[in-house]
Amino acid sequence: MTVETIGVRVDGVSKRYAHRVKGEIYAARDVRLDVRPGEFLTLLGPSGCGKTTTLRMIAGYEKPDAGRIFFGGQDVTDLPANKRNIGFVFQNYALFPHLSVFENVAYGLRVRGQTDDVIQKSVGDVLALVGLAGYEQQFSGQLSGGEQQRVALARAIVIRPRVLLFDEPLSNLDAKLRVQLRQEIRDVQRRLGITTVYVTHDQEEAMAVSDRIAVMHQGSVVQEGTAEDLYYRPASQFVAQFVGRVNLVAGRVVETVGGRVNIAALGTTISARSAPRGLAPGDPVQLIIRPEAIEVARAGEEPLTAMVVSRSFLGEKLEYLLRCAGETLQVVRYNAGPEAVIPDGATISLRFAEDAVTVLTERGGDGRPT
Amino acid sequence: MGMRKDPAVTTAVFVLWALLALFVVYPLAALFARMLVDHGTFTTAGLAAVLTDRHQIRAFWNSLLLALLVGIAGTMIGFLFAFTAARGRLPRVLLTVLDAAVLLPLVSPPFTTAIAMIFSFGPRGLITYDLLGLKSVTVYGLTSTLFSEVLTYFPIAYLTLRPLLTAIDSNVEGMALSLGASRWRVFRTVTLPLTIPGLANAFLLLFAASLADFATPLILAGNDFQVLPTQAYLQITGLFDLRGGAALSFVLLLPALAVFLLQRYWVSRRYYVTITGKGAGQAPFDSTSPGARAVLLVACALVALVIVYFYALLLYASVVVALGANHAFTLQHYRVIFTDGLKAIRDTLIIAGLAMPLGGLYGILLGYLVTKKAFPGRRTMELVSMINYALPGTIVGIAYLIAFNDPPLELTGTALIIIACYIFRYGPTGIRATVALLQQIDKSLEEASQGLGAGSGTTFRRVTLPLIMPAFFAGLGVVFIRSMTAISATIFLVSIGWTLITVKILENITELSLGPAAAFSVLVVVIVFVVIALIGRVLRLFRAPGAVPMTSLLGG
Repeated sequence: MTVETIGVRVDGVSKRYAHRVKGEIYAARDVRLDVRPGEFLTLLGPSGCGKTTTLRMIAGYEKPDAGRIFFGGQDVTDLPANKRNIGFVFQNYALFPHLSVFENVAYGLRVRGQTDDVIQKSVGDVLALVGLAGYEQQFSGQLSGGEQQRVALARAIVIRPRVLLFDEPLSNLDAKLRVQLRQEIRDVQRRLGITTVYVTHDQEEAMAVSDRIAVMHQGSVVQEGTAEDLYYRPASQFVAQFVGRVNLVAGRVVETVGGRVNIAALGTTISARSAPRGLAPGDPVQLIIRPEAIEVARAGEEPLTAMVVSRSFLGEKLEYLLRCAGETLQVVRYNAGPEAVIPDGATISLRFAEDAVTVLTERGGDGRPT
Repeated sequence: MGMRKDPAVTTAVFVLWALLALFVVYPLAALFARMLVDHGTFTTAGLAAVLTDRHQIRAFWNSLLLALLVGIAGTMIGFLFAFTAARGRLPRVLLTVLDAAVLLPLVSPPFTTAIAMIFSFGPRGLITYDLLGLKSVTVYGLTSTLFSEVLTYFPIAYLTLRPLLTAIDSNVEGMALSLGASRWRVFRTVTLPLTIPGLANAFLLLFAASLADFATPLILAGNDFQVLPTQAYLQITGLFDLRGGAALSFVLLLPALAVFLLQRYWVSRRYYVTITGKGAGQAPFDSTSPGARAVLLVACALVALVIVYFYALLLYASVVVALGANHAFTLQHYRVIFTDGLKAIRDTLIIAGLAMPLGGLYGILLGYLVTKKAFPGRRTMELVSMINYALPGTIVGIAYLIAFNDPPLELTGTALIIIACYIFRYGPTGIRATVALLQQIDKSLEEASQGLGAGSGTTFRRVTLPLIMPAFFAGLGVVFIRSMTAISATIFLVSIGWTLITVKILENITELSLGPAAAFSVLVVVIVFVVIALIGRVLRLFRAPGAVPMTSLLGG
């Protein structure tokens, strides 16, 4: 059976809860998302940001207080979960403990009244796809975390859902397995081309698997884009700090010349291209400089002077903490051999390219990058 | 998900309320009415008569004293067994022996230890008369009642405390040890404090059990140590004074109710350790030195030995002509119970056989509805369903007797009244098991089923129901066992038409035909063990995790 690939549109959806201490709060507030057919979209954010609530509303496990949800052209807002034709992978896997691996995977097919032949073949195929051929008669209690996760994935995809939904599926697994399984999830999704919404709080995971990422904060989507968009052009301090690591440096606008802004910071003048519109001289701003964008030179080579406070040796790379004009900066350098390691207390100079600097107004999230 | 009106749920709720009203609320109301209304006028004369009668006041204090002592002693022995089982690093075989010794009193008819006490310490007792040559000691009184009740009820404390001790995170104790505390200090400052809510709970359960116990004092208390349940029984069967019996029930009800409320709303919320049913997945803390372990083992072995001796004695008494007088082998007593006693056996099996499936169904249905469905008054329904379970059987029996004596609800003399009594008195175990199991089942399981396209009916049938089947069988088992062994409520409800083995045992004891009484007791123990084994086998077919073990349900 073939299922047409459809997009998912979340249109101004809100969900309120009564909180014990804070009174009524928004778990999701006017959330808008447009997931294209076949796309892998990730909802990324810290715990309590509303990403799981949003996902559960897409699934039909929660009903929004306001807004609509569309699968393709169909309004599914009032459709219960069992009528939406979704595949959902839970954080705790939610395998049926009284059923074997085979029967767990077959469950959705049996509900759909498939014949035994079809079930036998489909379950066999999908178990082979997730690398669990031969596990048919096992029970969930006998499986490792990674195996349980694969069964959960198999159970979700065997019904050929219109939309595949993941709620932090890897958070109960150890680091190495997480990396391996996220790749497998991505491969399976690509192969089947199912429109997918994935929830995680792990920015690296989000960047590794997604076509696009929507960053959520306090119930709202604060920025949406590819991993590169979010990393290089964060719209707010929150996104900048949540996606990757940053140096935040306070500064003041000196002048805007053409497409570039000159800013007084770190005791010198720094030029940047990526800045909000309408900045006037004297405006306070925040500069965002990624640790890997800062280059290190011998003392005196560059106008910016800094001192090494400490360093961490991480094998493939080194992380330095520097003191520069009263600010603390993080710098990451790839390990270029034992001679290149800079000792603690050494004085050095720094440089970074104009386009490595992002300017945000003090209020952060208000301004969109130009 | 939203709550849609489901006609099946509405009907079930309505039917259950009607049944609860008829078999729980109405009898209790009738009991109060009988006590307080005389020929249409309100009077406290009946109550006043009880409250001013010196004998009855003595009985009240005696009941409290006995319950207090049984609570303390039973909790201590229960803790001893639980600690030894949880922390003694016993080999599997010894654990099984320990469990079996504990299980025995729980599944026995109520008089078993009492009969064994008389055989051992009575006028012609094996120990007092034959062994020690004592002639003037009397077995009747506080000491032997206490001894017998502690042996009968300490397993409840064991079953309450053992899961608690097992569930304590051994890292917490290991941490204390690493901070320099000795094993004994760890026990005193960590293990014991964490167990205190459990100890309080066990104490209250034992207190309630002793307060409600009717059979043991009837046989062993004698004339100098009267307690309330037996007084109420004598008031009704001896003096045909229903109002006096009702008033005595009321006096008994107050401490029973206080204990129930304390246990449910105070102690149970003070647990530090949550028992999830999942194993902690780590080795238990090595909390006993070899010396301490030996002491614990010897102490447990002594208690277990007494239990085994009592049951061996019972078996022996059932196959000799007259214990203490003529020890020739005979099957005469069994011939008697299978001829004269056949009707009681048949009646008991019919009643237990009917009460079992109905009680199991009632438990699972009510437990499911109050946990999973939102409807007005569901908390109240759960509470009301617990009333007959929490009240001493004497009260329930007298209430049923008063309520169903007259048309249009004239049920006295029928099997129905006994069956209803068992369902609403012992079905709540199934309710509690169902609620406990449902609370352990993560809601994502039902959501997963729903997400895969299953409607709520299919989800219930294919996911929820199989997962709560263990609770159904556990509830079933408890109703059956109690139907075979209970007497406190149903002694008021038997008739010429329908009688029970337990009542027959009591008759035999009062007629001093101890041989047939012993034979009856052995028969009941055997039947109950066979049924438990069968149910255990069925339960093993379900692979649900965290399934409530059968033994943990016998406690209440």
